[in-house]
Amino acid sequence: MERCGDFVQWFLPDMSIKILMCLEDPSDLVRVSAVSTSWRQFVIGNGLCKHLCLRRFPDISSVANMTEVKNTIVPVVSQPEKSSEWSSLEWDHRVYAFMAQGLSNCTRKDCLIDAILASSTDNYPEESILNTLEPSDRVGRRASYWSSRGESDPTVPETLTYKLISKLCLISEFHVQPFQAYFQFGFPIYSAKAVRFRVGHSNVKIDVESDNGHESAAAQGSLLDKIVWTYTSPAFPMEQENSLQKFKLPEPVLCIGGVLQVELLGRVQRQEMDGQYYICVSHVQVVGRPLLPAFDVEILDESGKWNLKYYPKENLCQSRTKFSEGESSSPRLRSFGSNLRGWEQMILNTLLGAGAVVVDDDSDEELGGLF
Amino acid sequence: MASSTTGEKKILTLKGGDNEEFILEESLVLQSELLKNMVKEERVSSIPLPSIKSKTLVKIIEYLKKHAELTPSNKEEFKNFEKEFVNVVLEELLDITVAVNYLKINGLLEFCCQAVADRIKDKSVEAVRKIFRIESDFTPEEESEFRKETPEAFEGDLDDTTN
Repeated sequence: MERCGDFVQWFLPDMSIKILMCLEDPSDLVRVSAVSTSWRQFVIGNGLCKHLCLRRFPDISSVANMTEVKNTIVPVVSQPEKSSEWSSLEWDHRVYAFMAQGLSNCTRKDCLIDAILASSTDNYPEESILNTLEPSDRVGRRASYWSSRGESDPTVPETLTYKLISKLCLISEFHVQPFQAYFQFGFPIYSAKAVRFRVGHSNVKIDVESDNGHESAAAQGSLLDKIVWTYTSPAFPMEQENSLQKFKLPEPVLCIGGVLQVELLGRVQRQEMDGQYYICVSHVQVVGRPLLPAFDVEILDESGKWNLKYYPKENLCQSRTKFSEGESSSPRLRSFGSNLRGWEQMILNTLLGAGAVVVDDDSDEELGGLF
Repeated sequence: MASSTTGEKKILTLKGGDNEEFILEESLVLQSELLKNMVKEERVSSIPLPSIKSKTLVKIIEYLKKHAELTPSNKEEFKNFEKEFVNVVLEELLDITVAVNYLKINGLLEFCCQAVADRIKDKSVEAVRKIFRIESDFTPEEESEFRKETPEAFEGDLDDTTN
């Protein structure tokens, strides 16, 4: 009994799944699916990319609802014998392969793209949160930092809220540099006792910190109320040192929604002039892996449901065919073996851009918009 | 019930695919869920395993013996043994994996599956095809589309060796 080495062909499916799920890097699985049509069919048909991706980033499953995705991003099925079940599997495969790779790619330090607001600002705009995006503590002759208002109670916390570069980010580290007032007597460093981070999302449009003055405390409060926080890091003690202090998360955290908040817990430095406690920060940095630009995330509601939007290369907006669940009861996957060329052709069509894709009427505007 | 304190050990015969017989202590085969059930429920003393080659059976029995001797102090030695155990030609590894799955030897099954997966890990598509002796049935256009679709998966330090 001569068997070749093609275990996917002659092993029971459960065994092959067991073996392929031992792979950890989704890229391995993507290559496996390029070995032969039967391997490709196996990987796609069993949704292995999705399983691997969910195992690696379990957060995705808690929020991501792929049914939602199917409802909005629709592969166009043009030939009658092509099953919509298969095309949705094919779609899942592509999305998760992309996503896993998008997330596992290069780490960058500039994951913050804009400041949204600070819980308080002493002098606006000289001491605005916007200054914390600037790495240096001076720009030209001016000091560049954010300063809280003074408080007589050292336990009063402050928050700095930012927008992340992508609505789906895998964050691994936070860097915060407290500000040393080099122009004050004794060069005090206005650090915080401890620092903590939160990530979250909002389904309302949030304006970034604008240049035209203070927001009232009430307005700020109501803005923050609209943000749903999905993760809070442990509190890290902060040193009273003028350096970029690095805080590494126990585990990389998947941030869905693109809002990040630095919580500064407790004050340590009193300003001699007025006896009040302040917190000042010269720079905040977030290290992580943003999702590929081909994707966008749309937050649907406060429960955290979201749509993953995918904009494949050129064809940003194409035909919209609604996917309906009951449509075309497809034969079970295994029976596809007899019809290899059929689905292969379909894959090809999809890849060539005949099918695929994006949705939602106002998606174009949303691409550039904020939240 | 036979008492194990009497020193009288129960003996069992396994019959491989080519009718070769292997005589071993019953306690050893209890690591296999399948054989354990057969021994406990049917009280057999000889078990035919026609689907498993003798060569494969020899390997598996070797593992069962080593595993039974495993103690905290020889953990390292056992790990090295495991490593060598799966360091065989692909066909043999696949035969062992199938047999272990059939015999339901947990632990070893996971180890074998990982060993097969390790032969895919970080390899180029071409290397995987060579290792598993698979002919590509994609058209060149399809192949180049895969590469275009997810270029990251096809770039970087991929291993082209077939070891």
